[in-house]
Amino acid sequence: MRVSKWSERLFGTPIFDPVVATSFLFPLLYLISFLIIPVLAMLAIAFVYNGHFSLHWFGSILGSDYYISLPSGDFYKLVTLPSGEQIYYVQGVDFGVILNSLLVSLSVMLLTTILGTIFAFVMARYNFPGKNIVRILLFVPLLVTPFVNVFIVKKMFLPNGLINWLFYDILHIFPHRIVIDGLVGVIIAQTMTYYPIVYLNAYASFINIDPTLEEQAENLGSGGFHLFRTVTLPLALPGIAAGATLVGIFSLEDLAAPIVFQGNPLARKLMSFQIYSAFTSGFNVGSPQLAALAIIMLTIAILMFLGIRKYVSMRQYAMLSKGGRWKPRIAKPKAWQAALIYFLVIPMLLISIFPQVGVVLLAFSESWSGTWPEGFTMQHIMSIVTQPDIERVIMNSVMYSTAAIVVIILLSLTAAYASSRFKKSLLGPVLDSLSTLPIAVPGIVIAMGYFFFFAKAFPDTLLDPTNLLGFNPALVLVLAYSIRRLPFAARSIAAGIQQVHVSLEEAALNLGASRWKALTGILIPLILLNLLGGAMLSFVYCMSETSVSITLGSINPDYYPITARMVELMTSAVGSANLAAALGVFLMTVQIIAIVLANLITKQRYSFIGLT
Amino acid sequence: MVDVKLENVVKTFGDTVALKGINLYIKAGELFTLLGPSGCGKSTTLRIIAGLDFPDSGHIYFGNEDVTYLPSSKRGAVLVFQNYALWPHMTVFDNVAYGLKLRKLPKEEIKRRVEWALELVKLKGYENRYPTQLSGGQQQRVAIARALVVEPKVLLLDEPLSNLDAKLRLEMRSEIRRIQRELGITVIYVTHDQEEAMAISDRIAVMNVGTVEQVGTPRDIYERPKTEFVASFMGKTNVIPAKVVERTGDRVTVEFDGIRLDGLHYTGKEDEVVIVIRPERVKLKPVENAISISGIVDLVEYYGFFIEVVGLFGEERRIIARTISDRDVEGLKPTQPVTFYVNRDDVIILPRQKR
Repeated sequence: MRVSKWSERLFGTPIFDPVVATSFLFPLLYLISFLIIPVLAMLAIAFVYNGHFSLHWFGSILGSDYYISLPSGDFYKLVTLPSGEQIYYVQGVDFGVILNSLLVSLSVMLLTTILGTIFAFVMARYNFPGKNIVRILLFVPLLVTPFVNVFIVKKMFLPNGLINWLFYDILHIFPHRIVIDGLVGVIIAQTMTYYPIVYLNAYASFINIDPTLEEQAENLGSGGFHLFRTVTLPLALPGIAAGATLVGIFSLEDLAAPIVFQGNPLARKLMSFQIYSAFTSGFNVGSPQLAALAIIMLTIAILMFLGIRKYVSMRQYAMLSKGGRWKPRIAKPKAWQAALIYFLVIPMLLISIFPQVGVVLLAFSESWSGTWPEGFTMQHIMSIVTQPDIERVIMNSVMYSTAAIVVIILLSLTAAYASSRFKKSLLGPVLDSLSTLPIAVPGIVIAMGYFFFFAKAFPDTLLDPTNLLGFNPALVLVLAYSIRRLPFAARSIAAGIQQVHVSLEEAALNLGASRWKALTGILIPLILLNLLGGAMLSFVYCMSETSVSITLGSINPDYYPITARMVELMTSAVGSANLAAALGVFLMTVQIIAIVLANLITKQRYSFIGLT
Repeated sequence: MVDVKLENVVKTFGDTVALKGINLYIKAGELFTLLGPSGCGKSTTLRIIAGLDFPDSGHIYFGNEDVTYLPSSKRGAVLVFQNYALWPHMTVFDNVAYGLKLRKLPKEEIKRRVEWALELVKLKGYENRYPTQLSGGQQQRVAIARALVVEPKVLLLDEPLSNLDAKLRLEMRSEIRRIQRELGITVIYVTHDQEEAMAISDRIAVMNVGTVEQVGTPRDIYERPKTEFVASFMGKTNVIPAKVVERTGDRVTVEFDGIRLDGLHYTGKEDEVVIVIRPERVKLKPVENAISISGIVDLVEYYGFFIEVVGLFGEERRIIARTISDRDVEGLKPTQPVTFYVNRDDVIILPRQKR
């Protein structure tokens, strides 16, 4: 047996081992083949003009008023309704597609950070009657109900919607009724959808601060807001910032809010929607200008992603503790704090969970034109089991998602095993970055890349999206799901592997086991629960995937996944929204079952989208 | 049972050289200890012998067989990990039987040998427990049984006592020694505790920053240290830098702070030296063939079974005398004048080590 220098460099082990090599090469080749190549190949056309390398398409975008402009239009208007009543109509101003996307993203980051941090701080630091109910309520906004929750947000802000009923009719706080639409509608809807991500990250950060650090500051004379400003917040900031950045990226690539608000032209002037509308309006998907726009979008997302990684890695001190017993700092709120909690924080929470509540109400109601829905009916829910097209989309999604989680588990397991056990490998850091990269690649960009890639690579086959009804998206969707949802499961599994001390495998090797034996007999049994948790997590995420599902997935109705049907229901005839809501209720049920199971099986608190 | 030979073993981790060319010979059937402070390379050496790491250059032989690049699984040098590395999802029986199952032994044979091993470590009756249901000392015994049951050519122990409390440590120490004697197996033992090393070992290799400073029996190492590092690492020692000013045959006169000590044994070439004197060799009453050092009492420290007198002399030099007799220190108070006596044969002169 000889040592091999290249095996040591590539795989971090001087004696070549097929198990180790596979653990590196399988995820690496998979990610290169189905993430890097399709996206790059597609994007490359943005650099070609008249057969030559050129920045023409970028110039044409950056020089166009449509994409970047000075603000135009009024942020809000006082509109007189036919009834004679005046209302505020708030839609935001137009800075052009690119700046609009950036401003929406930044606004959503700011609002979710404020909301998420307040909720997290209250939950992490105060004990108050009713806290357990609040804890359960805080799980509600985590439930993903694509499109329908945005539809409810829009409803809440109609002249007779919940918000105006509450703040105008009852509390008389608003001078006029307020209707939101356009970019402001998108911002509010995304804020309500994504703030739980900041909440989860911030909560974890507050909980993980070594109490002695704050006690020492108090001991030295600090206290109150000074303590929060000088010690608590700086220590929690990396976690909060990571959550906020994730929200920023999600906002950038979000399609649900722009689609629901697309009645207002301003809501259409967002990068994600611009690319999406190419799919729906006659397939100029492969146009170089669109590719250039996709590059700009991808670049912004990746810069945000790299920025936060750099920032967080520079400030990894939240966990800096020397052991000892932690006595969590949970206090009884003072009178004014309790007043704030009961009269501001909890009402805000109740409003923020209303979209999910509204989805359920919508699914069980006959009509909903006023403030509240009217007429109870099981008809929409029953359609899930009686209406063949609905049954079919559910079956489709279950099949795609099941296939995808098998791939995801294999990818996460091999990638996490390789990069956590063979740290000397030069491929390790590459693999690490590649397997988290999908977070920063907008789904719509992947959809575009796949469209282009499969049309060029497999023309006139089942895999060619331009083949329309001859196209079967199953493989394409499974690939897209497995790539897009990989980072979430990979984290859960990597965390599991890190908890298993490497000596447990070394002991097996040392006693005569092969790598394969040590992996299957020692490591995998020890992280089985993490694997199950990761599998359930990714299943839920695959089921509710939107970007690729509503583009490539909505070409051939026979193969629609759930979300493709939902977007169709939301954007077509009146009344179908109830059916979309029924599907939303179905998705929520799946998520609740998965969360409960994951918590029961792994006995740790799993919260979805938790990404610290 | 084999002898183990390390030949010019070099190992680097990135920019740091962990082992700078180690040469060692471990006799078959002896208990050999690698002793040194943390970071000296002792654990790296052990992992290289176990086949869990591979050297950049150099060779390892078991008997006549070159095992340098033989994978750990085929080597038969079984390591007992510092954290025991017991598999929490397996019972004690399954942990111990693991290596035997890999060797595809018949069920009966496995059962017989696991029972033998558990009996050897006095854990019979614990077969169906899980590791988490055992105390630290019991876990340690399971780890040892798991290693011994496969009849290793060499047994490797990595700081085996460091996770045990003081009382258990003494118990396990003699237990390990007993098992080693009973089986006559070659054992390589890693520790940073010099007392533990001296108590348990046939021979010791003292390591420092990737090199072997000295190999010898515990007595050799303690009484005849070859380097300043070995002298100062083996317990509390008086080390005084000095200069050789006169040589007659193998006797020299050394000087420091204007104090001259003559008639001391030294054959080294270097003139920059250190004077090494064990505290228990420093007397408070005159002895024959003695050098004497006068100063004042700085501290008298009472340790129970011995007493230490710390003296100040010269230019803020310290000397420690250790005695077991209360009478020696009667009436000694800080700032009082005192004279220390050391037999010339108990003074060790060593070349000064560069830092």
